[in-house]
Amino acid sequence: MSESSVASAAFAKTATAPQETELARTDEDELTDRPWLVIVWNDPVNLMSYVTFVFQKLFGYSYAKATRLMLDVHHRGRAVVASGTRHSAELDVARLHRHGLWATLEQQ
Amino acid sequence: MIPRPPILVRRGEGFDLSLSSEERALLRSIPSRLEDSLGALADASVPIPAELRRLFPVAFATDDEAEERYQLNVRADLVEHHRRCLRVLSETASATYLSDTEIESWLGAVNDLRLVIGAELDVSEEPSMPDDDDPNYANWLYYQYLTYLESEIVDAIATLLPSPIPGADEFVPEDPWGEPPGGLRWDGTPIPKDL
Repeated sequence: MSESSVASAAFAKTATAPQETELARTDEDELTDRPWLVIVWNDPVNLMSYVTFVFQKLFGYSYAKATRLMLDVHHRGRAVVASGTRHSAELDVARLHRHGLWATLEQQ
Repeated sequence: MIPRPPILVRRGEGFDLSLSSEERALLRSIPSRLEDSLGALADASVPIPAELRRLFPVAFATDDEAEERYQLNVRADLVEHHRRCLRVLSETASATYLSDTEIESWLGAVNDLRLVIGAELDVSEEPSMPDDDDPNYANWLYYQYLTYLESEIVDAIATLLPSPIPGADEFVPEDPWGEPPGGLRWDGTPIPKDL
């Protein structure tokens, strides 16, 4: 990620509800107890401040938590940012893709 | 050098926007061209041109069947999302005030433009500036300008975030890989270890 700016986020009242893409549900996947992991990969273009902002917006993380995950992505190449059923992980990946992040899902 | 004042200042439910006429001209024309290029891609059977693939990342890196189904499901929505953001940016490039919704579209559009131009320039973590006779010089300057603009927008829009969701921070990421972390390129292929 580019280090051009790290935002100092202040929290306010208004929220923008993320729009979700309707994806096919595969029920057999819900029956397994191994969760699906949502993984964000490092890339040299997305700004660090932007990635932190997206983690806060999509997952409701604090600025400190979102920053730690962003730094994991930056320094370690990737980070698991969420986990759950295949359906929820796929929705999360779609939301991350709408924001231009490199995100994949895989079963643990 | 005297620091430039913020281009976005919170005012009520939106932001005052301060940009030069040259900046506004850039923001009016270039997003429209990208929006037009995306127009034909809503049909998932249409292949994504190489220069736009950065806007359509891989979801399933190791499962071709799942990946194909995913791309079929999300393509139209993703194309419309990108186009809507770019349209708002070019249509409001002359505005002196942006609503909260409009500034969110600006962020999406500016990020899309940076991704496409950054991929075209093949930028690295610590990119170096090309010579002024380099054919990529103009694109490089535009990329740098978009970096500045996006940083300003993120600083401004972060003030709109709601309070963190209680308990969300208790999520502890799994690390199924161990070291070394390595990484993938945006198309899902591994980064060569000798890079």
